[in-house]
Amino acid sequence: MSSTEEQVKLLVALQDLDLMIKEANDAETSSEMKQMGFKLDGIAELSKARKLLAERVRPQLLNRYERLSKSYGRAVVPVTGNLCLGCFVTLPTSYPSLKSKDSFLTCQNCGRILYFP
Amino acid sequence: MMKPNELAEFFHESLCIFDLKANDKHGVLTEMVSCIGENLHFKDKDLLLDMLVNRESLGSTAIGKGVAFPHGRSLAIQELTVLFARSAEGVDFNALDSKPTHLFFLIIAPPQDKENLYLQVLGHLVELIKSAALRKKLMEVTTFSELQDALASA
Repeated sequence: MSSTEEQVKLLVALQDLDLMIKEANDAETSSEMKQMGFKLDGIAELSKARKLLAERVRPQLLNRYERLSKSYGRAVVPVTGNLCLGCFVTLPTSYPSLKSKDSFLTCQNCGRILYFP
Repeated sequence: MMKPNELAEFFHESLCIFDLKANDKHGVLTEMVSCIGENLHFKDKDLLLDMLVNRESLGSTAIGKGVAFPHGRSLAIQELTVLFARSAEGVDFNALDSKPTHLFFLIIAPPQDKENLYLQVLGHLVELIKSAALRKKLMEVTTFSELQDALASA
């Protein structure tokens, strides 16, 4: 099993993919894209890629991701300048140093999984 | 509607590749992502590449007439980023008209791009590139300032 940092990266990739699928299924966005000349006929391919990617995430972490996605839309959020870009709360400056290879960080205010770009 | 000179502001000198070396689809995406990785500060280039490869499996972003617009959103990037690239020889990018692709506009945005600026930039570029005169100019530009002039005067 990959390290926690790699697991969080997998979640970022999963979330990017989920957003792509969501936009491809969204009537307004897909109509705009089609008007521009883009074909969006590979949604089934994306769903397959999503399944394969999800299988690489630890079940417990995946459950947490699914639960947070349901509540917030986005389960993983970036941290910029000590700010959680999910709820815009300032995190303690010591936060990044708390990252270890065995644990991932969540926002102490909203609980979203934090990604340090 | 975005003005041509506003659009030109999204381009940066360091994010232009006037002579792509890659000669296949995956290679072109990799070369463009590497250029972004070298010039912007972020650590996970592979996340961008994964996203772009997935986007291509949704449907080719090469809309014909020798132009492609690889695009998408990723948490790995912090601001709207546009890259221009060109291949003199052309690359098979699974274009809708099955012709080689020469001009590439890579557009990536973070998910938190609330004003949907990315769709505005994409839409505007798609509209501009319908001009055969602009496509011809873009095949000939050799400097960033010529690229900006070509876009601003379109």
